[in-house]
Amino acid sequence: MRQTFGSYIRKVRDDRRLESSEFSVRKIASRIGVEPSYLSKVERDEVAPPSEATIVRLAVALGEDPDLLLAMAGKVSSDLRAVILKRPKLFADLIRQLKNAPDHAVLRIAREVRDGRW
Amino acid sequence: MIELLHDQLFFSFPGIHPDASLTIQFQRTLRIPDDDRDYPLPPGLGCFPLRHVDDFGARVPEAWIEHGGILLPMYQSEAMWLNFDTGYCDDRGVSYPIAIKIATGKINAITGLPWSGGLHKHPQNYAVAPEQPWLDGYCVEKGVIRQFVAMPLGAGYTAEEQLTGAAEHGGIQISAFPMKREVFERRFPKIDRSISQLRRMSLDDTMAVSEPTARDSMGLAPGGRMKQEIYEDPYDLSDWDTKSGARCFVHITNSLIWRQITGEYPPTVPPTSAEYARYGLPWFDYYEDRLSALRGSNKLKKLKSVAALGKEKNDVPLPENQSVSPEKIIVLRKGLKKNQVRELAD
Repeated sequence: MRQTFGSYIRKVRDDRRLESSEFSVRKIASRIGVEPSYLSKVERDEVAPPSEATIVRLAVALGEDPDLLLAMAGKVSSDLRAVILKRPKLFADLIRQLKNAPDHAVLRIAREVRDGRW
Repeated sequence: MIELLHDQLFFSFPGIHPDASLTIQFQRTLRIPDDDRDYPLPPGLGCFPLRHVDDFGARVPEAWIEHGGILLPMYQSEAMWLNFDTGYCDDRGVSYPIAIKIATGKINAITGLPWSGGLHKHPQNYAVAPEQPWLDGYCVEKGVIRQFVAMPLGAGYTAEEQLTGAAEHGGIQISAFPMKREVFERRFPKIDRSISQLRRMSLDDTMAVSEPTARDSMGLAPGGRMKQEIYEDPYDLSDWDTKSGARCFVHITNSLIWRQITGEYPPTVPPTSAEYARYGLPWFDYYEDRLSALRGSNKLKKLKSVAALGKEKNDVPLPENQSVSPEKIIVLRKGLKKNQVRELAD
């Protein structure tokens, strides 16, 4: 069965909790600016995933990748959306062409910092 | 391979080892007073924005395109420090060692010697991460650095200009070399998963209109004195894979023209040391008793600080240089919690 947003958050937090008490529901909730009871409901999938900003804070607090958590919540980060909307045809074509490419092929087009002569 | 990820410079060496990687953050910070007193480590105030030079070809000097690399904005007399984070190898319970060479204006920040290829131990011209978590400036004495402070290239203050008499390069140059895979695997054998977790836990617990021209290029100059040890390489020189290094030229542009180049606003002006101290905010000290500190470079020791040189020139290069008395100093031991280093707020 596909892992839900809430169950994934709970599993990651529980794993971290084994290493440090800083990852209790109360402390994580405090760090991301929500009520502990709300975070518990999120973890039990009783409420819809939080806002983009809250998910990003949650990712930082848990040491997870923000884009990954946003995708699990069915969202795309606003900066990515803005990038696509600025040049929709170009990026739509690019994404469609890459949809079936293996990871290593996608990684090959990841942008490198160019070194020149100095 | 070098990438920009979330305003961080990410070096990876997948051909060597999947965990052989280095993330460098260019941290905004306070400029400590340049008054010949030794100050503790100032906080990190967030990362400078980093952009590909190639994205702004028509708006940056031609030499920058030739150099390649990246650019970042700094205000005149603003300070910075570098944060190093290497890839963590879970099944060995250690971070992958990376040797890092840092130069400003092609003057090595540890030896004061001109930029050269490769790694050398006599004198040691590099730092080793994760042992060296940060670099805040020029290694002028054992346990003392002079803070990296941005000054306009051509005004005579930068380390490059003081040592070579020329304002040619500016910026920051970085090379990174991973440890050879066979050496890494020999030195750090695989460990039982439960022990790996224990080791990590124990570590965690201990512890930004006219066309911009070359005139708008900035270089780094020696500022105030700060207590920071640059550690001796605890490994052998032959342990480093010098054939697999990667390098990057980091151009520094005046924050005042950052928007002309990129269309983005630069970060705000950081607080002064006096403002920071007035609010009783924390300063930091780092403690690592298992490693020896380098003696410091005589060439770098002879450099004049920005304030001292300004006085000779009858110039006031630092808008605010009031001495402060840091009261709240947080001592950090080796083995910092990830993402919790020298931050102003948790």
